Amino acid sequence: MSSAQYELSPPPSDVISAIRFAPNSSRLLVSSWDKNVYLYDVRAPAAEQLVRKYSLSAPVLDVCFGDDESHAYTASLDWTVRRINLETGEDTVLSTHKAGANCVAYSAKTDLLVSASWDGQLHVHALSKPGQPPAVIQLPAKPFSISVTSDKLVVGMANRLVDIYDLKPLEKLAMQHNAGTPQTVEPLQRRESSMKFMTRAIACMPSELGYASSSIEGRVSVEWFDPSDEAQAKKYAFKCHRETVDGIDVVYPVNALAYHSVHKATFASGGGDGHVALWDGATKRRIRQYQKFPSSIAALAFSPNGRYLAVAYSPGFEDGKEDMAGPVGVAIRELSENETKGKGAK
Amino acid sequence: MGKRKGHPSVEDVLARPWCYYCERDFDDLKILISHQKAKHFKCDRCGRRLNTAGGLSVHMNQVHKEQLASVENALPNRQGLEVEIFGMEGIPDDVVMTHNTRVMQQYYEDAAARRAKTGNPMSGSGEGHKRKQIKLETPDELTKRFQDWKRRKLDGDTTMGNTEAPLPLPVVDPAPPVIPASFGQPPPTAAPFAQPPFPGHNGFAPPGGAPFMPGFPPGQAPFSGAPMPFAGSLPGGAPGSGLPPRPGFAPPPMSGVQFPGAPGGTAAAVDDLIASVTSQGAKPATPTEKKGKGKDKTRMIYSDNEISPEEKMARLSRYAFTAA
Repeated sequence: MSSAQYELSPPPSDVISAIRFAPNSSRLLVSSWDKNVYLYDVRAPAAEQLVRKYSLSAPVLDVCFGDDESHAYTASLDWTVRRINLETGEDTVLSTHKAGANCVAYSAKTDLLVSASWDGQLHVHALSKPGQPPAVIQLPAKPFSISVTSDKLVVGMANRLVDIYDLKPLEKLAMQHNAGTPQTVEPLQRRESSMKFMTRAIACMPSELGYASSSIEGRVSVEWFDPSDEAQAKKYAFKCHRETVDGIDVVYPVNALAYHSVHKATFASGGGDGHVALWDGATKRRIRQYQKFPSSIAALAFSPNGRYLAVAYSPGFEDGKEDMAGPVGVAIRELSENETKGKGAK
Repeated sequence: MGKRKGHPSVEDVLARPWCYYCERDFDDLKILISHQKAKHFKCDRCGRRLNTAGGLSVHMNQVHKEQLASVENALPNRQGLEVEIFGMEGIPDDVVMTHNTRVMQQYYEDAAARRAKTGNPMSGSGEGHKRKQIKLETPDELTKRFQDWKRRKLDGDTTMGNTEAPLPLPVVDPAPPVIPASFGQPPPTAAPFAQPPFPGHNGFAPPGGAPFMPGFPPGQAPFSGAPMPFAGSLPGGAPGSGLPPRPGFAPPPMSGVQFPGAPGGTAAAVDDLIASVTSQGAKPATPTEKKGKGKDKTRMIYSDNEISPEEKMARLSRYAFTAA
């Protein structure tokens, strides 16, 4: 039996931008600033873990699966959103933004691929109609993180804005013939982040009732879609990923959030401090914190069956540093039965 | 009724086993040890409970091929694996001292808060404290005491306060007595633990005398000997005649009784402890650790609120991308 935590080999050679599990298997996509996308099988013996590596022309900022394991979708620094055929390795450009594309997300129910870019626009691709140009949605600010449920899209942006869109009208727009002219769409809700600093990551709850978001200032907030006062009263935020060194509170960005798919209230946060913590969002308690990883946590993913937690670590960009250096790796943690189960209320 | 039911004495509190890693205290050493095994020395892989952090480290290493970096659930400065802790064993002396100081400070704060709330006088604290006994004076004693008082009155003893009139007699000498400065309100240095206003003081002083009265074994009626001008409820004895001066008016709990039980304390350690407690006591209020933390400076690892780290990275020359 393999030990409960192990490293995928070989790891990417540069900073990791995203990791995503396949919807129905133990395959894992990893995108990196080394211009490659890696496909691993986390349950394979060490020598066969890397299934394939796909080379692109620019650093890859985000990656996701489609509705099965045949294709991957990427967002790259060269402004493009691409589809990679994971069998053949062939890649095609789906659309080109006007600046680096930093996020992609796929929603199975509507078969939509949403990409975001620093140009302040979203591209909504109807994958069911190949060759169809995407609907271009103008955002009020630069997007930093997006997350989807079966019917909603949450976009975390600059100026602490958070937009929640209904995917239905977006789907309609994506199906129409449009010449790629940017349009504005009224979001379901436009919120101000409940945190004072830049939104770093957003993850929707598997229950689809709300989302968690994190900021660069060591904080995570959990809130609900339901605009009623009652539901809004439940929202909360808490500090994390900080440490006191010589009397100074050192505050790290919370780079990654991921919800567990089985224990639906459990989520993981990963910070610039190299720590990964599991939280019970229902009882507002920390379940556990793992041993410190050798560099900043870049991304987190739970496998769909909830048995594995993938942790991508790589050096983070810090204030006052010209460059980053440090180990890069992807650790897979096999989760024991109760490891992610919430704790009882206090 | 040796022990009072409601509140434990400071020795009891100090003697409680406590956990080096999280500063929690327990009723029993056994419970402490099982706490440590469950909270701090438990393997998060297989749930095995080890006896020490070192044991857990070896276990992680050998069984799971992992390196234990820190003790789980520990306070930030107590996560290290270097100290070998088992129950109460192995705790560094300085940590013991800080702990005791903290516990005592907390104890007296609580006691003071209680007193402020209930208006009860400072308890004698400490073992061997007997409940004040109502002293029944025989008519002879009463007469003697009255005569003593009268004699002193005639001698013009000005230190006598009017409150100590042994009997509610018609006022013999209407001249207002001089009240010692320290009477009525404690000297400024003596207010480390917000003392409640002086409890009612007219008529009889508590006949049993303050249990702390130096020179009198507890229980012995202080009135029976030399005239005792004032056996009020000022703890530690009243200023004035016949009593040795209170040393520096240290906070009452410091009068020595508390310390025999201080664990692991050498004489010097106890001195330090006293010094540290008294110096803390001298501050107007007791700034708690929490307050201090709130004032901590913070340093953000990444503080640009407009441009994301990725955008900055994208500007590095090695990632340079220009639109074709």
